[in-house]
Amino acid sequence: MRTGPATIPEIIAAQLARSFRDGEVGFTGLVTGEAATLYGTTIPLAGMLLAKRMHAPDLTVLLAGWSHNPDLATLDVVPDSEFDAVLRDLPCDAQAVTYPGPFSFKRGHISFGFSSGAQVDRTGSLNSVCIGAYRKPKVRLVGPILQPEHMTIFGREYIMMPHHTRRSFVEKVDYVSGVGYPGGLAGRAALGLRHGGPEWIVTPHCIFDFDKEAGRARLKSVHHAEARATLQDDTGFPLDGVDTAPVTPGPTDEELRLLRGVVDPKGILLGRT
Amino acid sequence: MISPGNKIGTMADAVALVPDGTRLAIGGFANYQRPMAFVRELVRRKRQNLAVVGMVSGIEADMLVGAGALDRLETSYVGLEKYGLARNFRRACEAGALTMVDYPEVLSFDRFRASRENLSFWACDYLGGTDILTHNPDIKPFDCPLTGRRLYAVPPADPQVAVLHAIAADAAGNVLMPSHRLLPQELDLHIANSCDTLIVTVERIVPESFIRRHSALNQIPSYRTTLIVEAPCGAHPTPTLSRWLIDAEHMERYVAASASPEAFAAYLDEWVFGTTDHAAYLDRLGTARLTALQEFDAL
Repeated sequence: MRTGPATIPEIIAAQLARSFRDGEVGFTGLVTGEAATLYGTTIPLAGMLLAKRMHAPDLTVLLAGWSHNPDLATLDVVPDSEFDAVLRDLPCDAQAVTYPGPFSFKRGHISFGFSSGAQVDRTGSLNSVCIGAYRKPKVRLVGPILQPEHMTIFGREYIMMPHHTRRSFVEKVDYVSGVGYPGGLAGRAALGLRHGGPEWIVTPHCIFDFDKEAGRARLKSVHHAEARATLQDDTGFPLDGVDTAPVTPGPTDEELRLLRGVVDPKGILLGRT
Repeated sequence: MISPGNKIGTMADAVALVPDGTRLAIGGFANYQRPMAFVRELVRRKRQNLAVVGMVSGIEADMLVGAGALDRLETSYVGLEKYGLARNFRRACEAGALTMVDYPEVLSFDRFRASRENLSFWACDYLGGTDILTHNPDIKPFDCPLTGRRLYAVPPADPQVAVLHAIAADAAGNVLMPSHRLLPQELDLHIANSCDTLIVTVERIVPESFIRRHSALNQIPSYRTTLIVEAPCGAHPTPTLSRWLIDAEHMERYVAASASPEAFAAYLDEWVFGTTDHAAYLDRLGTARLTALQEFDAL
């Protein structure tokens, strides 16, 4: 079991947990790749499981978009295949195996989701399609996947960026696969988008929330003091409040005890050290 | 001879239904239960100028791109998930050699629902602001005639031919699906009803009596199928739910081989052109490997 001061993944999991409300439905994919899995899948899972223990017992965890409240405690590793027998045979409340299935994506049944991309910009738009021009791109990426849906028909979106670099935090994304707030809330309304949109951008150094009227990401908190020196250099759009943004509040003793002893006793979600 | 009472044919018969330039839907999802024996036969027969319409694409699309068989790909994702990037696909896009049409994932499912309902478009309300609209002239904006709300008319999937891999079928063309299906098998049923030419490769041809004992699992009745081809372990290296595990070692071999056009050509020479048919492919894999991939199910 982990000991000592709260780690960055624990700090983020506690922050996420406090933002989830009882009765909500949270959707995570199974993201693969070490840092990508931590930010895209396992920190969100730990946050949701902590919220269920603290204040939101009726929060529904939708793992891989289909397994409802799976019994992760029985596992020694987090599943990394969405549709094989491991997840099929994991005890859970319900399995959504059909499309259309037991919930409707388009009627707002998903309260929040988590997504990531190669680029995110100041308006919160995401890109997982290409770097450079669309035809003959410099780098072709995997495609839009479920991002267009995450950023519009889900209630709100937590953008989870495993790396905070100038390459990934850009003034304008090369391809909009998930829409943020271009032109603010009025801009979204003019695009016919009536709900949803990014809520936070979470990185190993900080959390952004949004001035949704103005359509701009703003620094909400910084996880550790050392990050302040490099944050602007690592971000491709101007930041306000690098020196004055509060430190991200860590977990309380009770939250830390639950994270380490109950939510993730084997360290499969947030790491062993 | 294919007739209403006997739809059993060979993989060569299957590929004969898919001439150059065909718009094709390939069953399975991501890297699960792809009719790979059929895909390899397309490559062996040097099919050209194919278009694939998919949902979430994986090795089946990447192999066709790497073999130079594919001109156009419509989907929401192309990758090998935990095994890595779809490197043939990536190289072709970066060289401008593939017409890529990106769609959101749920919408890519809905395009098959549109075909299934025989609709000329699917209505979507959440595309505003995305570059999906910027680069896809086939999606047309319109105002809802009842409410005035801005919507987008999205073209249906409309494949000319669909090919699935399933567990069992009889000579008449009835196809059994496992009792505990997951999303890939359920989406196969959308694909199966999205067009009029349906090829199903199966683990085993079974007698009519077997179908009648398991009629609740017959999700594709005989009048829906065009051709049945027996291909045991026909999804390899992807898994077949309740029968075969994914061949992780082979997936890794594939990803390594697709690092360069030369290495990929060598892979195709060994595993596709170097095997005359699916039986020869299974021989190359060997009994020990195949036995290790068997999945326990429903103990």
